[in-house]
Amino acid sequence: MLISVKNLHKSFGDLDVLRGVDLEIPKGNVVAIIGPSGSGKTTFLRCLNALEMPNKGTFSFSDGFELDFARSPKKEEILKLRRKSGMVFQSYNLFPHKTALENVMEGPVIVQRKKKEEVRVKAEELLKKVGLAEKMHLYPHQLSGGQQQRVGIARALAIEPELMLFDEPTSALDPELVGEVLSVMRELAKEGQTMAVVTHELKFAEDVADHVMFIDGGVIVEQGPPEEILKSPKEARTKQFLDRVLNPS
Amino acid sequence: MAKMFLNELIINNAAPIVDWDLFWSSLGPMIEGGIKNTIPLTLISFACGLVIAVLTALARISTSKILAGIARVYVSAIRGTPLLVQLFIIFYGLPNLGNAFVLDPFPSACIAFSLNVGAYASEIIRASILSVPKGQWEAGYTIGMTYRQTLFRIILPQATRVSIPPLSNSFISLVKDTSLASQILVVELFRRSQEIAARTYDFLQLYLTAALLYWIICFILSIIQGRIEKRLDRYVAK
Repeated sequence: MLISVKNLHKSFGDLDVLRGVDLEIPKGNVVAIIGPSGSGKTTFLRCLNALEMPNKGTFSFSDGFELDFARSPKKEEILKLRRKSGMVFQSYNLFPHKTALENVMEGPVIVQRKKKEEVRVKAEELLKKVGLAEKMHLYPHQLSGGQQQRVGIARALAIEPELMLFDEPTSALDPELVGEVLSVMRELAKEGQTMAVVTHELKFAEDVADHVMFIDGGVIVEQGPPEEILKSPKEARTKQFLDRVLNPS
Repeated sequence: MAKMFLNELIINNAAPIVDWDLFWSSLGPMIEGGIKNTIPLTLISFACGLVIAVLTALARISTSKILAGIARVYVSAIRGTPLLVQLFIIFYGLPNLGNAFVLDPFPSACIAFSLNVGAYASEIIRASILSVPKGQWEAGYTIGMTYRQTLFRIILPQATRVSIPPLSNSFISLVKDTSLASQILVVELFRRSQEIAARTYDFLQLYLTAALLYWIICFILSIIQGRIEKRLDRYVAK
């Protein structure tokens, strides 16, 4: 297991958003997290790198690193956790005052304090890999949504994270741009990158994920291999959700 | 032509409105006062004021209630009292506390103006920091940055762009406000005009000349402001 999450709880004031979530992600696996809006799926993903601070729960990594949120972790532990994962946001959140290349180089240069020349070579490779070799000196506002999101992926990959987190990476995109982002993600999965993806793209989940988890009401209702969860779910709530997504009108 | 026209404007046999000899001879001392005092006072106070303002803004948005409280009281006290009164407290008032508090006019003015700029600009900087979307903080955190790294490399550069127009206003106001320092014996541009007027009684002409010089300084500053904004615009969608 790359990471195992046990008994994760998160509440905002009186609202319990996560009520005891357990998950294990083996190295090289892709986990798709699906569920209705307000189910807690995004909160769960954001807890994985402490963008939201869980109220309770433990993370343990394969290298022995452990975090117990019941005793509020120290700043250094939070930083260490964050440096293990890369995050791709629904709204890209690129740094608007930096070019695509500078966006990608920021993490390795500033956080990991690597040499600029080495980082540049790697950053150019990453941008080439996401199909943006020609665009690396443009600012985010000069790029389309799909291109920005691919820069976002390259920026997250640049810190060489053990785990990549995707928070509805295609939800803000025009439909014709969704494919270019998904194909980059497929490529990553093929290369063995461990990924957790919150998504509404069920086809993508079916094709790429090793494991699908359906969250509703802050708990995991059902989880398992994609063909099981997406084709023959056992729980009524899962069936209802899939039915609504597949037949919207 | 203009000179002739102006010289013809004679009111009740009084002296011509514009006494050109006086104009040229008064210009020197006034510009000297501007270069020796008005401009240094403005630059030093603005620089110190900005540092105070950034720290105050950070204190106000920090999670520490004590820091936020101190910052709030400071801003409220400065904004709630006249600048002239602040100058008088520092220069004429503080010496009552003992010899250690006796300050020369120029440093007194620097302190008063820095505190003043610090309070007003902190509100501008606070607003511009808050105008940067929360996702930018998060993006910084997810690539492993600390609070400080994110603040200095991601947030403040973007906040700067937003704060340039209102900060330029503060700066231009400050240039003009430094004329108040004449009241605590700083020999700056306006005090020079007062000194000459006291000798020659040409109040209108000398104060108009002072006004013209302030106007020229502020005009040049607004051109510089435009240039800076253009430079910072390069990464903003048009």
